[in-house]
Amino acid sequence: MNNSIRKYIYICMSVFLGLTFASCNSSDSKGESKLVINEVLVNNVANFQDDYGQHSGWIEIFNKSYGSANLAGCYIKVSSQAGDTSSYFIPKGDVLTVVKPRQHTLFWADGQPNRGTFHINCVLDTIGSNWIGLYDSGKKLLDSITVPAKTLGRDMSWARVSDAANEWEAKGKEESSYVTPSTNNQTLDKNVKMDKFQEHDKNGFGMAISAMCVVFSGLIILYILFKNIGKVSIYLSKRNAMKAKGVTCEKEAKEKKLGEAQGEVIAAISMALHELQNGDHDYEETVLTITRVKRSYSPWSSKIYSLRETPNRK
Amino acid sequence: MGDFISFLSQNLADFWTYTGFANATPGHIIMILIGLVFIYLAIAKEFEPMLLIPIGFGILIGNIPFNMEAGLQVGIYEEGSVLNILYGGVKSGWYPPLIFLGIGAMTDFSALISNPKLLLIGAAAQFGIFGAYMIALAMGFDPMQAAAIGIIGGADGPTAIFLSSKLAPNLMGAIAVSAYSYMALVPVIQPPIMRLLTGKKERLIKMKAPRAVSHTEKVIFPIVGLLLTCFLVPSGLPLLGMLFFGNLLKESGVTRRLAETARGPLIDTITILLGVTVGASTQASEFLTLDSVKIFALGALSFVIATASGVLFVKLFNLFLRKDNKINPLIGNSGVSAVPDSARISQTVGLEYDPTNYLLMHAMGPNVAGVIGSAVAAGILLGFLI
Repeated sequence: MNNSIRKYIYICMSVFLGLTFASCNSSDSKGESKLVINEVLVNNVANFQDDYGQHSGWIEIFNKSYGSANLAGCYIKVSSQAGDTSSYFIPKGDVLTVVKPRQHTLFWADGQPNRGTFHINCVLDTIGSNWIGLYDSGKKLLDSITVPAKTLGRDMSWARVSDAANEWEAKGKEESSYVTPSTNNQTLDKNVKMDKFQEHDKNGFGMAISAMCVVFSGLIILYILFKNIGKVSIYLSKRNAMKAKGVTCEKEAKEKKLGEAQGEVIAAISMALHELQNGDHDYEETVLTITRVKRSYSPWSSKIYSLRETPNRK
Repeated sequence: MGDFISFLSQNLADFWTYTGFANATPGHIIMILIGLVFIYLAIAKEFEPMLLIPIGFGILIGNIPFNMEAGLQVGIYEEGSVLNILYGGVKSGWYPPLIFLGIGAMTDFSALISNPKLLLIGAAAQFGIFGAYMIALAMGFDPMQAAAIGIIGGADGPTAIFLSSKLAPNLMGAIAVSAYSYMALVPVIQPPIMRLLTGKKERLIKMKAPRAVSHTEKVIFPIVGLLLTCFLVPSGLPLLGMLFFGNLLKESGVTRRLAETARGPLIDTITILLGVTVGASTQASEFLTLDSVKIFALGALSFVIATASGVLFVKLFNLFLRKDNKINPLIGNSGVSAVPDSARISQTVGLEYDPTNYLLMHAMGPNVAGVIGSAVAAGILLGFLI
């Protein structure tokens, strides 16, 4: 293979691989859990109440993925003092433990697991800090959080700023930051992206320019790649043709147009197109062509095997 | 006896309230007439019959008047009805990728591979989408609706349905019908623009015959095409993934049965379901609005812009090309992805001026590039707005 072709291949491959590796985001590729602890309310006095009309502390789990996740068989562990950890096994067989994509599930920390799947066997400490861990069925830690002591007052929750966000904050102190059991931590009452476009790109010019740039750049890269792949292919077919014809001189190969499509092929295609274009079959040529049809025997298509035989009367 | 007669007459009167005659509105009649026009165009003029027959008949199905309050579960918008279940494929956007699978399995990218610069024409024609987007914004549509309307300019029915199902589901019926109608009307819309924007000399340009493309190149194309376009625009994955997958089935040479199913029975089945349900979704009560009229006007405009930008781009491109390597601007129209109709238009118009100039093979290049370009554009719009 000559040097220029080899150079092209190296350049193309290194550009693609370089782009791919350079843009790899290693922090996002770790195996993160779908389920996270999203909000915790420790001291429930007049907040959300359970089906029994009781006000108890609660732990909200959020499925941050776009597929369903099942909590059955998972564990919720709560510890308010070192060495004193209670563990709650989330029962299997309850369809409600399947959390839909981007949805929430609430567990009541009332210490009464006999009240149902979503009532855990411990209560949260309203004075000290609480460590809460969510484990999968193999007891692998999925997520954990320490709810700080004395930071939260009555009916205040410790919650992620928005669903599955890394930052946490105390909610319920002011009217603007309210407690959100079983619902999004940050209510989305507008389409941020669309509003941005409406604000900064009223006539759509920005969208047109940026989108056309992306379309063009994608197809330009494809063009560059296939231009070079084409060059390699032409070189290879020429080399093979030279080998087959026993030609060693490049000049001679060029003169004989080795590796190029022959004029006859192009003529045949043009003829076929011409025929197709003008081939209105109002009058058939009435020429019959009889071709022998040869069907090879196969037991898979044999009627002997697929039809039931007529019973013999004896 | 008198009681019995009054019972019978009461029954018949009740029955009358259920009939189409009692429930017909002028809207229904207008839509039925539109459906009949579609069927006429398909049969008498042979404008995209594969699309217009199912859509036209679908319009008739969707506009049979019935008592909406009776809970008959027959309407396409009534949950649980048969039509509603079939419409699920349109609403949730899984018909379009399956159509793309079939398109991939029947598309020969050789023309494009042999002359890859034709890809750029496919990119240029996408300006129809963004031109229509800008006009739609000016007409008062919000950015998401404008994007869904603009995609009509891509001349790609499945992409239009896919994008509108995500960005503006309430406008999907009008967008889909508009996209398919204008695709069928490509032979009417494009030639005047092509003639207007090209000179006599340009129309006679004879392009270099495409080179033979090796099997290896044909196999590499869908793989590299997928990796490259989807790394750039992952939101186009459902469409581009299926398009290139279908093409690999075809070109690999070892999955002939799968390729035949994808380009035969599968695409036929989905085309029937898609056509008839899109047609039926034009129920007069939902469809006959001022917005629909605006969408139809914008759709026509987007086709005009797309065709013009393709032709003008070729003229511009020719300024930078060697004399023996020039492109005939009559293939610029095929940058819109109505495959293979717009390529056929290039061929027909080209032959009008020079009966020995066969442009079909060359026009297929930008034509299939247009399919890729419009799917990429749809991915960009999704990525920007969702």
